[in-house]
Amino acid sequence: MKILCKFFFKLLKLAAIIYGILFIVFYYDLDGKFLYYIWEPFMVKRFDNMKRADTTTTPYSMTENVE
Amino acid sequence: MKDLVHIFELEDLLQEAYNPLVRRARDDGLRALGYTCYFMPEVLLDLPGCFSVRLRAPRSSFPDMATYYMSGRTCMYGRCLLERALEGGYNFLDAQMATETCAVTCRFQEHLQLLDVIKNPDFFCEFTDVPFKKNENSIEHYETQLRAHVLDKLSDSFGIDTSDDAILTAIRQHNEICRLISEIGSYRKLDEPTITGWEFSVIQLCTLVCPKYLIIDKLRDIANELKTRTPDVKKTYRCKVVLTGSEEDDPDFIKLIEECGALVVADRHCYGSLPGREEIIVKEGETPLRAIARHYLETSECPRFMDQHVMRQRKQYIADVAKEYKADGVIISQMKFCEYWSYERTIDTLIIQRDFGLPVCSIEKEYVNNAVGQLRTRFQAFVESIELKKLQKGGRT
Amino acid sequence: MGFSFKDIKSKYRELFVVEKPRNEKDKARDLKKTVHDFWYGKPHEERRLGDLYVGNTGLYKHREWRGFVDTMYYFNMIWLYNYGHMVSDIIKYGEGPGALVDFLKGTMRYRWMGQTYLTAMHWFDRGLEGSRGETLRASAWHYRAMVSETVRQITRMFQCDKKIHNGEIPEKWNKTIAHNETLSGNIFYGFRDNLDDVPLEMVPYFVSVHVNNHTVLNYIDAAQSLGLPADPCPMCQAEYGLFVHDDYPDYSPVMLTSNEACDGSVATSVLQDWFLNRPLYAMPQPMRYDDPLVQKHCQKEIEGAWKFVEEQFGVKMDWDLYVKYAESFNKLTEFEWEKWDVAANTPSYPITGVAQALYRIYYSQAGDRPIWHEVDDRVRRIMNKTVGNKIETFPKTRHRAIAWSCAPLYYSHWCTWAYNCWGINCVINMDSLMFDQYLRTDTYEHALEDLSWFNEKAPMRAMAVGGHEHILSLFDYMERFNCDMVIMYDQLQCKGMQGIHGIFEDEFRKRNIHAIWVPHALPDKRTVSRAEIRGIINDYMTTVMREEPLDPSLLDFDDSMSW
Repeated sequence: MKILCKFFFKLLKLAAIIYGILFIVFYYDLDGKFLYYIWEPFMVKRFDNMKRADTTTTPYSMTENVE
Repeated sequence: MKDLVHIFELEDLLQEAYNPLVRRARDDGLRALGYTCYFMPEVLLDLPGCFSVRLRAPRSSFPDMATYYMSGRTCMYGRCLLERALEGGYNFLDAQMATETCAVTCRFQEHLQLLDVIKNPDFFCEFTDVPFKKNENSIEHYETQLRAHVLDKLSDSFGIDTSDDAILTAIRQHNEICRLISEIGSYRKLDEPTITGWEFSVIQLCTLVCPKYLIIDKLRDIANELKTRTPDVKKTYRCKVVLTGSEEDDPDFIKLIEECGALVVADRHCYGSLPGREEIIVKEGETPLRAIARHYLETSECPRFMDQHVMRQRKQYIADVAKEYKADGVIISQMKFCEYWSYERTIDTLIIQRDFGLPVCSIEKEYVNNAVGQLRTRFQAFVESIELKKLQKGGRT
Repeated sequence: MGFSFKDIKSKYRELFVVEKPRNEKDKARDLKKTVHDFWYGKPHEERRLGDLYVGNTGLYKHREWRGFVDTMYYFNMIWLYNYGHMVSDIIKYGEGPGALVDFLKGTMRYRWMGQTYLTAMHWFDRGLEGSRGETLRASAWHYRAMVSETVRQITRMFQCDKKIHNGEIPEKWNKTIAHNETLSGNIFYGFRDNLDDVPLEMVPYFVSVHVNNHTVLNYIDAAQSLGLPADPCPMCQAEYGLFVHDDYPDYSPVMLTSNEACDGSVATSVLQDWFLNRPLYAMPQPMRYDDPLVQKHCQKEIEGAWKFVEEQFGVKMDWDLYVKYAESFNKLTEFEWEKWDVAANTPSYPITGVAQALYRIYYSQAGDRPIWHEVDDRVRRIMNKTVGNKIETFPKTRHRAIAWSCAPLYYSHWCTWAYNCWGINCVINMDSLMFDQYLRTDTYEHALEDLSWFNEKAPMRAMAVGGHEHILSLFDYMERFNCDMVIMYDQLQCKGMQGIHGIFEDEFRKRNIHAIWVPHALPDKRTVSRAEIRGIINDYMTTVMREEPLDPSLLDFDDSMSW
């Protein structure tokens, strides 16, 4: 019983720490800051350098009436 | 070439909407019916007792008052029409037969309803809904609309005879004009055309803005003269082009292109004859109104149509016209702020070159043609590029 | 290379420290007030929300302290709840954790996904700034529903997308209908047992601009790179720019499109059709939709769309299924009418202008989905409480405004700012008033009739086309919703709206109405920035209305680089 209680309190403590950390992330807008300063520039670089198909080579072939 | 018979007289008729022939028709007791778009069948407005006037605003400068109402960010054609209306230039109209076929001309026509600008106690403006497809459902819908908003309205308001016989009479007159215009236009297909693009544009425009019965003799004279007209000994042009695009009612613009060395041999634009001057055929078992509804939907090459195969066939049509009229290239001209043609010009520019191998000059212009210098440079460069291509081709063979 | 302690300190101050205004610095600390503010939040006039921003980024040095209860609600029931549910929604809609893999692949493949949607919580932040109590809760639920539906659409698109599956056809590719975002999802109710319908541009373009407006600029530039002039509607440009950049998911063998609601929209279909190069059915609506003679035509086009889907997918349209979904959707409509009634006749309407507008347009366009009902139930409870207890939900209201015409997508939350700064309460907007149509299901004929009416009353179409009386109905709605001010959106590239500009000017003068013209270019913030929009409203409020701001820190701030 004691072990179970101990484990439960440990779990509660861990949850409280995680909850506290998440609150700090929330309150100081750390998620926003991460996305703005790290994630977005990385993605912009990725997408700017991505090799894209030249869509103007798409054939213009659907000339039959589909109705 | 020798000056074409009546051509300067016709050119004069284009200097104002309320031209001497329109005056004469009104004096004859006919009702003047304005319209702006091909989707308002002119043949129905030419029923006995009335006549059609496709609206233009010739000799416009900056449309200040209309810009207050429609802002400076709308198509200048629509604004110039409103300006002319506000100035009293369309007071001769007995009715405006309107269509909501593009945003700005629709707003122009709504202003005619809202602002009470046409100083004619009989005046009304009636809208017809025009479908976006060419299928049977659309033809049926269009026919219903034309019956309710054109025929019934004309009959109720002005006592116009809208019987099948009257419509057939109008079709006969319309077809004769079409035959004559097609005959006149066919001389542009010659290896060395015996009519210039400017001349043809003046003639075609006159058929749109003048009462048909007052102009038909002149067309016959022109057609007769063209039978024997010979081209200049020394060619006055360096290449032949198709002019395609949005609203274009200024023969001086055609003249500008031709001054740069490109003879305009085909006119596929809103006020042009391709399409527009095909004869209306009443099929067996078909009412004349049904035939008109079908004809206008089937012949139109407007970028407003949304059926997939129709969108795609439009490009083929331009290529076919270029081949038939032996054109060396295509000029795609778009009225600034025309959304339909912004997109259509973009895709035409890419597809016509890529899939049909035709050189394309793609331009954007205003209704009041004040960027003449820039356009001249563009056209000269285009003509040179075509010549260069011809030389390269000649060198290879 | 290397950072000094000074650099770190200054970066820290820039990112986290809220500078107090000079007059506050000198004040002695009032413990009682501090405790009161901690528990209840600062009074509106003392909030200084503008001081919370980090430079021009729109980020917060810290998120707003709304009082203990509301801050904890925001943290638990909005921030944590939505982050958590975004993940669970992917698994739910994707029918298993495997969907997370597709989601990741899509995130790395599509700019509109990878660069945009992870910032969704900031979308909430912007729309809910300054909100308290029931307003905060009801509005946040609206956002929650929109996020959930967005996740549903993304998940379905990625599951079926050939591009992220190495060009191979995923199983559901042949069971998904792609349609233009302006074609309502209700057309496809009769197929929903076998097929699913996903609007093609809704998530890649429309919603993305609200969440993070950086992405869309790439698509507008791409559209113009092929020679399209800059003046057509930028919404249409962006919708087609997606294709130029090859940034659309290939999730369906067909496409259905519409002429909704303008020339640009029709013309966009021409270019999209080229790039899609697959069977396309156009389902245009009549322009003069008030005319009783047009209805049959419209109905036949809807039936044509059904026939097209049946032929392409080999699935029969199920009438009973249509009835089921239409009746379910009617419940949403009934609640919408209830909301309008409360908004029009009481000061207890608990939804911000931006939440009202976006939610309404989203659910009407997407059609019936369980999430809308779930959220409406929650909002109904909140609204019953505010009305029952006569809670004044926007207590600082000085003006009740109606917003007319199409809104700036990059600044649809301007109304949150306007309330916080000036007490302008945007009660209703034009987009909310569209799709105002009950769907009868007693007979096939009635159903078809109402369905065509519904589509004829789609966004912009209902007001902007079919006769000037539709757009001029502003004045009737103004009266109905008891408004004393008009925010007149001036979409600079909308030809239909530009074409009637002067008439509105005349009418405002004639009727002696306070109207503020707000110029914008839908998704493109480069044409008219958010700061310029605020400047125009500020100028009107100070020079014409001669009023003082409620929160002076919001008058002038730089958010040029914000999402």
